[in-house]
Amino acid sequence: MDVFIIIFTGLIGFYMAWNIGANDVANSMADAVGSQSLSVRNAVILAGICEFSGAVLVGSSVTETIRTGIVNPNMIAALPNLREGEAAALLIIGMTAALLCAAFWLHFATWVGMPVSTTHSIVGAVAGFGIVAAGWASVNWNKMSQIVASWFISPLVGGMVAFALFKFIATTILRKEKPAEAAKTYIPPIVFLLVFVVTLATIYKGLNHIIDGLHWLTGTTSFIISVALGLICAIVSKIWISRHLRGKDTLPIAKQLEEVEKIFVPLVIFSSCSVAFAHGANDVANAIGPFAAIAYIIKHGTVEMKVGVPLPILVMGGAGIVIGLATFGHKVMATVGTKITEITPSRGVAADIAASATVLICSRLSLPVSTTHTLVGAIMGIGLARGLGGINRSVTKKIFASWLITVPAAAFLSIIFFLIGRYLFLDNIIDIVLAARG
Amino acid sequence: MAIITNLFKKSPFGPIVEHAKKVHECLEMIKPLMEALVYENYELIHELQDKVCKLEYEADVIKHQIREDLPRRFFLPVDREELDGFLECQEKMADYAQDFAVILRIRQTRLHPHVQDKFFALVDQMYQVSGSLLTAAVEIKNLAEASFGGAEARQVLSLIQGLGEEEWKADRLARSLSIDIYKLEGTISTIDIIFYEKMLLKIGAIANEAENAGDFLRAMIVK
Repeated sequence: MDVFIIIFTGLIGFYMAWNIGANDVANSMADAVGSQSLSVRNAVILAGICEFSGAVLVGSSVTETIRTGIVNPNMIAALPNLREGEAAALLIIGMTAALLCAAFWLHFATWVGMPVSTTHSIVGAVAGFGIVAAGWASVNWNKMSQIVASWFISPLVGGMVAFALFKFIATTILRKEKPAEAAKTYIPPIVFLLVFVVTLATIYKGLNHIIDGLHWLTGTTSFIISVALGLICAIVSKIWISRHLRGKDTLPIAKQLEEVEKIFVPLVIFSSCSVAFAHGANDVANAIGPFAAIAYIIKHGTVEMKVGVPLPILVMGGAGIVIGLATFGHKVMATVGTKITEITPSRGVAADIAASATVLICSRLSLPVSTTHTLVGAIMGIGLARGLGGINRSVTKKIFASWLITVPAAAFLSIIFFLIGRYLFLDNIIDIVLAARG
Repeated sequence: MAIITNLFKKSPFGPIVEHAKKVHECLEMIKPLMEALVYENYELIHELQDKVCKLEYEADVIKHQIREDLPRRFFLPVDREELDGFLECQEKMADYAQDFAVILRIRQTRLHPHVQDKFFALVDQMYQVSGSLLTAAVEIKNLAEASFGGAEARQVLSLIQGLGEEEWKADRLARSLSIDIYKLEGTISTIDIIFYEKMLLKIGAIANEAENAGDFLRAMIVK
């Protein structure tokens, strides 16, 4: 029976991961594929690698939040009049309900064409069962308000950073008399920024759970390493750019701009990969957060969760995303590639750096945000900086509507699943928990 | 579904360049029309008029496509009203070129030798204006790439700067041509004079609209 629960919830978790891979990953690579810098096939391969490493290397903090940050297991354990093992059983049922509900809601939303975020669904669902299982107090409202605030802040910050970055690229390079000359000076700092952000987010507290004994990798050392790596990449890029643009600064401006866009091609590929990395880091939690909680309880029989997320579970989530991408995501990727051809590499770089930096910072703060919504915010920012031809305003309205509706809907659905589950299976699951303790 | 795909709409600036070029093709028919008139080759005028009509229609199609592709819910890097105004002016230029061809087509008018030179001079001056506009308009795609600022914008703005003066020269030429036309009163038929005046007004109007289009373009850039 306990094996059955593990398999059942594992499958739903895997299905969620598959869903993320199938539907969301294409968004993260959109700028590289849309600007024709990367073929669909290569984009799928690169996205697979980056999503997987993001999930495994940085995925644990946000997974922790979903697992224990929203509903405090100790609050459930402290409920009066509980039978032995009932708290653990309630948590198992609740997390299963949350997973099921998020999967259902996601399916429904995709069916009606609503741009729903998996993150918002799972957070709403987990909070929903918490309220019914152990009352309002069991939900960590402090954390919840941080999370919800981050949903508003992340697209805004993404938009502002993208606006500033694009303005920087435009005024220092694209608007100059000799763009090809200016590019030699001003693209290396952008390379530095990109490499610095991605490296820091990856290694800062990130590698310890993968490789033991990296105690020297403290905050300061990882900062120094990131700066060093950023500088090295900036210097290499400087040499490479100078070689490619040699003698190009005498061409007419239009030609020079074309050449400069070509220089942005490898950058937009790298920056899109960093969005995929950030996406894996942040979104893997949606699939495996609840499952990680269930697996732990069934294994140990208690709700006190002190150890981090086990590596095999992160790997499972990462693998699910990759399989989703391989089986279905490539089709979505192809659509993205043909539909957003208006974006050029320079715009893509600005949007990608803004989005991945914002998402990675949120991941580091253990805040589950929506990568897609942040990227949409970043692209809007570039539109406001007069960088893009035609941007659809109504998408913002749709996203906003989906925010308002997702959390209550997911919470409500998960409450229903939880009540049904508790009515039908509570006794069985208490037995399982007690067996695990014995 | 990837929402990113709903975020983007085709940029209007490529088609705007196409439109400007097409309008210019219409205008380019005016000189051959004048020459055909001098040689009193009315068959050629007929042919050329058909050609202008066709070109004008094609320009219209492009313009409608631009409008259709950009519902108001899309926000653009330039002001929507200015963009519409710009397209409107260019459309009028093509319209007037077509009107001009029709004027030559509907009556076998003869061009009196006394006004020929000034007529050609006026047409050339009109080309000065419309040519500068075209040079500026085809830059709009690069302007979009440079996000409507900097060196590229300065280059286009300086082109537009010259439009006003060129248009003023065209106006002055038109006035002096007008005087010459009325001097022919009594020598040629009144209907001839009416037709000369019609032709002159259309050419002047084209130069005028080119200047207006330039104003809209300037407003689009400085936003």
